[in-house]
Amino acid sequence: MHIGSHDTDDVLLKRSAKGDQLAFAELYHRHQGALFRFALRMTGSSWAAEEIVQDVFMTLVREPRKYDPSRGTIGAFLYGVARNRIMKHLERTPRDFSLDEAGEAGRESHPQLREHMTPARWAELRERREQVRAAVSELPPEFRETVVLCELEEMSYDEAASALECPVGTIRSRLHRGRALLLAKLEMLREVPKRANACRG
Amino acid sequence: MTCEEFSTAGLELGSAESDGVLQNAAREHLRECPHCAVLHENWMILRDDLRGLAAETANAEASPRVEMRLLEEFQTKHRTVKAQRSGVILGWSLAAAAALVFAVSGTSWYLHRVPSVAGIQSNSRNAAANKGSQGAGSEAGEILVASNDSGDFALLPDSMPPAPQDATVVHVQMQRAALGALGLTVNEEHAGDWIQVDLLVGDDGLPQAVRLPQTASEASN
Repeated sequence: MHIGSHDTDDVLLKRSAKGDQLAFAELYHRHQGALFRFALRMTGSSWAAEEIVQDVFMTLVREPRKYDPSRGTIGAFLYGVARNRIMKHLERTPRDFSLDEAGEAGRESHPQLREHMTPARWAELRERREQVRAAVSELPPEFRETVVLCELEEMSYDEAASALECPVGTIRSRLHRGRALLLAKLEMLREVPKRANACRG
Repeated sequence: MTCEEFSTAGLELGSAESDGVLQNAAREHLRECPHCAVLHENWMILRDDLRGLAAETANAEASPRVEMRLLEEFQTKHRTVKAQRSGVILGWSLAAAAALVFAVSGTSWYLHRVPSVAGIQSNSRNAAANKGSQGAGSEAGEILVASNDSGDFALLPDSMPPAPQDATVVHVQMQRAALGALGLTVNEEHAGDWIQVDLLVGDDGLPQAVRLPQTASEASN
């Protein structure tokens, strides 16, 4: 059966529920990336993120009727399921990540050493990224998910509200609080403008 | 705009989520307030770091083994569903076939049963008649038929004709000799024969009149 890019998620889900494997695969490819990144940024572990993505799509395979089109899009539904799994994972997992897990997630995401960058500057940038990553992962989950969706995934407030099933006002206030917490955690950044200016000069 | 308002809305400077009027007010406040200018600058650096962090994992995806596992599960589930559907269809087909066979055999049995019952009934009637004609002693005086047709009865000696509403006709089998006890004349050559007799019994339970079948009456004569 032919799958077109114009087919909506709803159409794909209906076909998938009837046993159309291509429709299911298309649905998976459309959403897995964003869900994986969301889970990765929330948990800090690519292994946990994969498990969560797998669980989310297993729900779609086993219980496609759980999705109610009148309550939102499939994307929002999948985010909702992913969020529940992430919260369960965070409840089970100690707040401090193990060195191995941090390393695992960190290996993929070290800043690239560019030609114009000195090793010292690269090390500084890498250190700051790690601090930012740690600061994000230490945010309380409700602020973290908002920061992840709005600042890292660059979702609009409406999209984030739909994914997190809450009003836009809640997203605004959580984001404000999340940003304030991040700034407070990264107090060292207060001196950075001078350093950054010095580097530019 | 106050510093507090700036800390809430001013950090969204340049964001699509913030409206134009608010952004102008925030820019104006930024020029006047050095504290908020530092805050804004810090936020811009942090935002760059967040974007850098996002860019590093922008192409991160689940590994192909996740898709493989999901597709395996998908195939298993839909194979099971197909098998279940086939099972259900087969089950219903078998049930329908069984019901059809049951209905046909039931009808057939019923159609064969009716004549055989009729045959059994007629056979039993014949057997009773044969027994009666062969003269089973135990059946002497047995009531076979009763009707209130009181015509052609001959009054027994010393009997008064009973009122029709008090009389009952009793159909009995008896030996011809027994008619003698009722005061009737009996041909002694056929005294041992079994005959059918209708007795008109009064409300006191005693026979008042008797009616003989044609053959029997001829014989008794």
